[in-house]
Amino acid sequence: MKGLILAGGTGSRLRPITHTGPKQLIPVANKPVLEYAVEDLREAGITDVGVVLGHKGREAIQAFLGDGSEFGVDVTYIVQGNPLGLAHAAGCAREFVGDDDFVMYLGDNLLNRGIGRLVEDFESGDYGASIALQGVDDPGAFGIAEVDEAGEVRRLVEKPDDPPSDLALIGIYVFSPAVFDAIEELEPSWRGELEITDAIQSLLDDGLAVRSHVVESWWKDTGKPGDVLEANRLVLSDIDPASEGTVEDGAETRGRIDTRDGAVVESGAVVRGPVSLGRDVTVKEGAYIGPYTSIGPNSTVADTHVENSVIIGDAEIDASERIVDSLVGSGATIASADDVLPDGQRLVVGANSDLKL
Amino acid sequence: MRIITHTCPDCGTVVSANELEANRVMKCPGLDCESVLRFADLPADDREHFLEHRERYRL
Ligand SMILES: [Zn+2]
Repeated sequence: MKGLILAGGTGSRLRPITHTGPKQLIPVANKPVLEYAVEDLREAGITDVGVVLGHKGREAIQAFLGDGSEFGVDVTYIVQGNPLGLAHAAGCAREFVGDDDFVMYLGDNLLNRGIGRLVEDFESGDYGASIALQGVDDPGAFGIAEVDEAGEVRRLVEKPDDPPSDLALIGIYVFSPAVFDAIEELEPSWRGELEITDAIQSLLDDGLAVRSHVVESWWKDTGKPGDVLEANRLVLSDIDPASEGTVEDGAETRGRIDTRDGAVVESGAVVRGPVSLGRDVTVKEGAYIGPYTSIGPNSTVADTHVENSVIIGDAEIDASERIVDSLVGSGATIASADDVLPDGQRLVVGANSDLKL
Repeated sequence: MRIITHTCPDCGTVVSANELEANRVMKCPGLDCESVLRFADLPADDREHFLEHRERYRL
């Protein structure tokens, strides 16, 4: 079995963060989203991993993953170029995959419990594909599967007016190589893309069995800022914290606090977990870091209350303010305007930023 | 839809036809690979098909 991680896409809903890098490298609990997918594949015993790259952030992803050896996998890069759809991305991997089965994993997706069960389900029978599903509240907004009592998929419908179930396709699939012939037969959809749901429906139409696997624990697509915060919250709720950093006497800490090498919680600072503090992060006297916050490497927080937020890294935060539910890009400076006249906020803000003052 | 790709003979990196055609000649995007990849490296049949249906390979 091989793995295929889709790491293209423009990340437009995550601007301005994605002006400077691909969405797949946004950290969740101080680890890029993409790394979770690599780990899930490796834990399922899959070490031959293709990574599909688009136009955006290609070099950054290659610089991060390298040849994969640091992550215990062997990476082959597949340059898709134009974003012609998920089925096109899969089709570009035909030669890489060869006659193997493969797991296709959207690189901005996060799964709580890994893909072991999904792969086992696929291998338990003679299937053309196995798809991961999850119950959603608004099935009209998703690709929805109609599934029989035995867990076999009957048909797929895209954003149905009259949904046959509430089971939405999430971004993780297992395919037999039969999918490549199905993809070759596809025509672009109304939006000009080769749709993976059409490829799976075509497998069904050809009489192949498609297995479903309902994911009971959480799954998250990190396509929007709110999703990144939610994913960060979910991962931190469950984190097995490292204790590489230093908590000085006189610091007040409670709950699980993940600290990486060189992180310091100084005397007079307050940290309430779950929190992750990256490499060389300093939380200074007077700062309060509240639950569900991740602070990326080389950042300093002084005097400020930060809660339920992701600070990507290299940030200087020193303002007598409460920062909540925020996603702060790398290298940002947030300082106080208290002693500056005339009174008012002072902003140097990137394109497509979103501020609530 | 036919999906046309070219695999770098030196490092195994796969490049789609739309990317090759856009560049005509490109340094292999594989890590530390110095190979030069050309649209002209594709089989004649693939090139012809791509150029005939070029609009489908754009978005
Ligand atoms: Zn190469």
